[in-house]
Amino acid sequence: MPWGLHTKDTPGMGRILVVDDEVSVRKVVRLTLMKAGYDVIDADDGSTGISMIGSDDNPLMLDVIVCDIRMPKINGLEAITFFRQQYSSVPIIVLTGYPDASMAADLLNKGVYDYLVKPVDKDKLLASVSGAMERRMALTDDH
Amino acid sequence: MLETSQIRVLILGAGKGGQALLELFASAPAVEVVGVVDINPDAPGMLLARNLGIATATEPLSLIRTIRPDLIVDVTGDAVMAGHIARHKPPGTEVLGGTSALLVWKLAQYERELRHQLIQVEKLATIGTLASGIAHEINNPLYAITGLSEHLIDETRPEIIREYILEIIQSGRRIASIVQDLNAYTRRSNLETICDLDLSQMIEEAVKMARRASVLDEVHVKSRFLETAPVRANPDELLQVFVNLVTNAVQAMNGKGLLTVSTSQSNGTIRATIQDSGPGIDPSLLGKIFDPFFTTKDPGKGTGLGLHIVRDIVTRYGGKVTVESVPGQGSSFTVNLPAAR
Repeated sequence: MPWGLHTKDTPGMGRILVVDDEVSVRKVVRLTLMKAGYDVIDADDGSTGISMIGSDDNPLMLDVIVCDIRMPKINGLEAITFFRQQYSSVPIIVLTGYPDASMAADLLNKGVYDYLVKPVDKDKLLASVSGAMERRMALTDDH
Repeated sequence: MLETSQIRVLILGAGKGGQALLELFASAPAVEVVGVVDINPDAPGMLLARNLGIATATEPLSLIRTIRPDLIVDVTGDAVMAGHIARHKPPGTEVLGGTSALLVWKLAQYERELRHQLIQVEKLATIGTLASGIAHEINNPLYAITGLSEHLIDETRPEIIREYILEIIQSGRRIASIVQDLNAYTRRSNLETICDLDLSQMIEEAVKMARRASVLDEVHVKSRFLETAPVRANPDELLQVFVNLVTNAVQAMNGKGLLTVSTSQSNGTIRATIQDSGPGIDPSLLGKIFDPFFTTKDPGKGTGLGLHIVRDIVTRYGGKVTVESVPGQGSSFTVNLPAAR
């Protein structure tokens, strides 16, 4: 079954954190993922995203992170570095408005799972999340 | 003697040709325009001369006798006037007239056209460097439009359909407003238009442009503006000055820091200051930053023309641009322009 650690207690296909400062973007991503059966939590910037995970009783209750790059306070790049260090088994999908090939290559080298440019269509986002979920399970099985 | 000191020039005839000459001479360090004469006190060159603080007159002889220029450039094309000047000019003053003056006049107009084209090219280059930020600003609402539309396809609840459609309309309007601002900035406008402008407003416009390119996300902007900061200039040229300075400041801070913008007034001069909290400019480079094609940015990130054009425009309006920079503490660019009367 395609779920991560948290799903032992939570029904569904897995939990995804969506970090984006644009309320309409969060709404579209949330709708897309929830309709596909995922459990979604969201944050409007990197620091809120980090504190949401940190404040949780179980910091591993997360399967995939979908994160923008350009945001106020702690930006996406800083947040991604933090997520990679703290939760190395949680795949990160970057969802950004920047069609920047060199940044994409750089982030993928740093271990980001996928780099998607807005506007991304529903099927592509879901395919990426599904692939990330499989990666998450593979990484969890290794531990 | 003329090789080492400035040539003091009086321009006779201040129509479009005289104005182009004045613009060219005003930005050439080897030339000092000491007077402009035209029978029409409202000729374009006369207005510009007054703006630059240059003596003007509607009758040539008394001014010529008072200021004793090295050279009179006569672009009136008036043979009677030429004879009149030749008879009454001071002994040390030379006259450039007839076809020779026409040649200089043509070259000045050609140079003026090139300068206008350069400003336009630099404007587009600025948009180029801001392109990824602009793409980001547009792609966010675009994603809201395409994403919500995908969900509308199988949505049946009327209240939800209405909610999504309203958000789609709002996102579409946001994109339209971004495109409108960009269009206003890049259009090739009539550079002949000189009017009263508020310097504070121009800076605010420039900051808005930077915001449009979302380069200000992590920059705190602090502004301190005069209630009115009136100067006379072409609006597009002046906007270009501040878009260049603000963009440079934000790029210097790598998109993160404090941008302080202000206007102040003293002794008939309006002063605008654009200050960043970036790493500052290496003292060995300070003397070169206004040179054409000088850039410290990576290839493709800057033309090296921005500050050159800033200085060119400001100088033509009788102003001055200066820079102070402390390594590690940031840079501050000051633009001084004559206050509009």
